[in-house]
Amino acid sequence: MRFAVKEKPFEVKNSLIKIIANNMSTLLTHIAISDGKIKRSSLEVLSHLREQAEDHGHTVEAVIIDQEPSNYVDQVKNYGPAKIYTIEDPIFENHQNAPMLDALTMVMEEADPYIFAFGSTESTKDILGALAARHDAAVLSDVSEFELTDDGIKATRPVMAAKILSKTEASGDKILVSVRSGSYDLNESEADSEVVNLDFSADESDIKATLGEIIGSSGDKIDLSEAEIIVSAGRGAKDEEGQELVHELADLLNAGVGASRALTEAGVMDPSLQIGQTGKVVSPQLYIAIGISGAIQHVAGMSNSKVIVAINKDPDAPIFDIADYGIVGDLYKVLPPFIEELKKIKS
Amino acid sequence: MKYYVCIKQVPDVDAPIQIKDGNLIQDTDRMVLNAYDASAVEEALVLTDDNDGEVEVVLVGPDKAKETIRKALAMGADKATHIQISGDEKYDSATYAKILANFFEDKEYDVISCGKQSQDTDAGLTGGMLAEHLDLPYATNAVGLDAEGENLVVKRQGDSGQEMIELPTPCLVTCSNDMNEPRIPSLKGIMQSKRKPMDTVELDDLGLSEDGLQPKTKVTGYMEKPEREAGQKFEGEPDELAQKVAHLLDEEENVI
Repeated sequence: MRFAVKEKPFEVKNSLIKIIANNMSTLLTHIAISDGKIKRSSLEVLSHLREQAEDHGHTVEAVIIDQEPSNYVDQVKNYGPAKIYTIEDPIFENHQNAPMLDALTMVMEEADPYIFAFGSTESTKDILGALAARHDAAVLSDVSEFELTDDGIKATRPVMAAKILSKTEASGDKILVSVRSGSYDLNESEADSEVVNLDFSADESDIKATLGEIIGSSGDKIDLSEAEIIVSAGRGAKDEEGQELVHELADLLNAGVGASRALTEAGVMDPSLQIGQTGKVVSPQLYIAIGISGAIQHVAGMSNSKVIVAINKDPDAPIFDIADYGIVGDLYKVLPPFIEELKKIKS
Repeated sequence: MKYYVCIKQVPDVDAPIQIKDGNLIQDTDRMVLNAYDASAVEEALVLTDDNDGEVEVVLVGPDKAKETIRKALAMGADKATHIQISGDEKYDSATYAKILANFFEDKEYDVISCGKQSQDTDAGLTGGMLAEHLDLPYATNAVGLDAEGENLVVKRQGDSGQEMIELPTPCLVTCSNDMNEPRIPSLKGIMQSKRKPMDTVELDDLGLSEDGLQPKTKVTGYMEKPEREAGQKFEGEPDELAQKVAHLLDEEENVI
């Protein structure tokens, strides 16, 4: 933008304000629903986007795509979007990329968002590239922070197995971004949001992929990407006794149970529990690594935890380099008194 | 079935990395076949061994990426296409997807597969973009693949469980490295790879030009990750250590 600022400062200022007002854009947040709950990462993104909207004079909106989106509207209002779009169809009982892309396309056409932000879940990863291609949008995935600039966004992304951070920028009139869970704090600010239901019906004959059964669906298990406390088991806790101790500790702390790749590959623990570069990226308040050596691929998934406790019998295990509290010792000898003491503390 | 596997040459993420003036410096310039792509190659080889067929690998990259193509051929892929670029371009996922989409425009295939992400950038976007450009049904993050008649059966790791998805061919699938252990090329495989056909294609041949491929995203620099400091490490009597740390978590950290 170029203005002859020197000659008529006041008029210019007014016209500038007008231009900014005319440039007020929509920042849209996708509210992901999984197992009957809103993913916390979606609300983290919405909290952040609302702050960005306030700073830059934009308006923030949200979209809920689900079989019963109305269930979640009140909770989303607490985070202050000006408008909440809902798209309702039975097809959204389980994630399927084709109908999800159609629904997201519908809301993009309706809301015309400048920024469309997502919490980075497996379902987001499944659709983000295709959605960007469909709308010729710029896209940054899995960022750990982002902010608006004059012509787009700038973001930080962990790269090279999360060993370093890259500074990246995206520009254009449509930008998609997905944000790692735990990147922002929840920040409520209730609004009387307008609720707009978009009329969507999935054309099943158009959906070429067929979703069959879902194996090992977590049901009421604690979602690792949302968990406050995670107890995670590695090769050292492979046998039955180790597994029992890990689960006992997790139950006591109401914690999610995670695993290193060694254990999921060995078939000891469910693949959906894998934490690391290939598995889930987590950022709990407390991460207890049991019998985990701390290979770089694992650390990539958990190094943003607030407090890390490591229990390992090898004093040179790399996990101790990042642990706040390390216990060098045999987990079979350490865990029973650890569990006993925690029981006393909690009672 | 005819499988095309899109592969990429990437820096070895396990080699030491330094940052100098915002640029990435690796002590070794060791470049490798992206681990996720290696799993995609392996799976295509297994499926074509069982059900006949052909595996062709496609790589977009500079001249020195030919060694990575040879690796895939040595693993057992039948032939390869090298889409040659100078390597100085700062292409993002969308540009790679666009180049590949133009390549596939006039090809016939049953399955296009690739790694679910590139191990250096972990962006994980190219596969979905390519499927959209080619209007193919697709599945991402596959941890298991099987061919059933004309269909591809994909086991994909989703948010809360493993989803079984049946895709009619032609289709596209992106592979996790959890699905298999990619084979190490045998000496015989390495010898044979030298005689396998490798086409070289320029952007021009695909109706593209460097100027026309302006990425919408760019990396402006690199930073060290704020390092986690090693905290306290305790050795000694297990009972005492367990009690001490339990109390630290409660009283100091307030996380219990």
